[in-house]
Amino acid sequence: MEDKSRISKAIQLIAQLSIDRASQVFSKMVKCGAKISLEKVYLTDITKATEEIAIEGGEVIGAYIDLVGDAPFKFLITFETNDSLLLTDLILQRPTGSTKELDALTQSAVQEVGNILASAISNVFSSDFQIKMKPSPPQVVHDFAATLFEEYISAIAAESNEILIIESQFMVVRHNLKCAMYILPLKGSDKTLSYICNTI
Amino acid sequence: MSKRILVVDDAPIIRLMLSDILKFNNYEVVGEGCNGQEGVDKYKELKPDLVTMDIVMPEKDGIQAMTEILEFDKNAKVVMVTAIDQRESLMKAIRAGATDYIIKPFEQDRVLSAIKKAFGEA
Repeated sequence: MEDKSRISKAIQLIAQLSIDRASQVFSKMVKCGAKISLEKVYLTDITKATEEIAIEGGEVIGAYIDLVGDAPFKFLITFETNDSLLLTDLILQRPTGSTKELDALTQSAVQEVGNILASAISNVFSSDFQIKMKPSPPQVVHDFAATLFEEYISAIAAESNEILIIESQFMVVRHNLKCAMYILPLKGSDKTLSYICNTI
Repeated sequence: MSKRILVVDDAPIIRLMLSDILKFNNYEVVGEGCNGQEGVDKYKELKPDLVTMDIVMPEKDGIQAMTEILEFDKNAKVVMVTAIDQRESLMKAIRAGATDYIIKPFEQDRVLSAIKKAFGEA
């Protein structure tokens, strides 16, 4: 139990560092002030995880990314469909409302934000803790938020009854753009996270 | 005559952003590739003056694709474009023969300075 609590603390620290870095790169990407806040870090029963995060029902565009290396994680980022249109306009510096429907470019905007944020997290592992991590190519998905989340946590269901969830939210200045980002440590990351606990 | 550039990235939005920057600055974008294998195939077909190459891509990553391009043409100029800002990964790309690298998200000025440096114009 103590180990779990220490690892949870280490993850909270890494999550905060990662999110600070991700905020900087996301602001640069959308060319206006953006803040990603760490909402919650908690351990929960895997069967209750979807309830716990209280996902609202709408369709979202998301990107799954595996962070592979010394501390494997699964990463998920989701935008509500309308927000993905706004995201595309912000990245391409078009007037808002220019992107009218979901297309390959819109999906690609979510794909690239996922790639850049997951890379920012792996960069924190590398620069601050000398831990080797690399993101996989993003897999773009479009479905109901709860469906995507259940698929996301199913990766860990076979090996654990509990999962540690890191939730965050994005806010972009002058725009009501919301995004959810989840980082899920996989079993193989325990040893590296324990090492981090001992170094901080 | 404007220099001919091949843009390789699995994200269409990045290919669009890079192509816009290059075209606006009088470079000719002769083709695009969405994975490493396409990058190699299009290089052989189009023989561009320079390639911008993402590192993390499906099918074949950018470093492998660049290695195959350099085996085909040892004078090929390849500028890596990546979100992975890690010394080891960037050194691996440079050791494998990359002319320069650009970290995503990028600014127009950084893209142009890497391209000009590759062409010896900086």
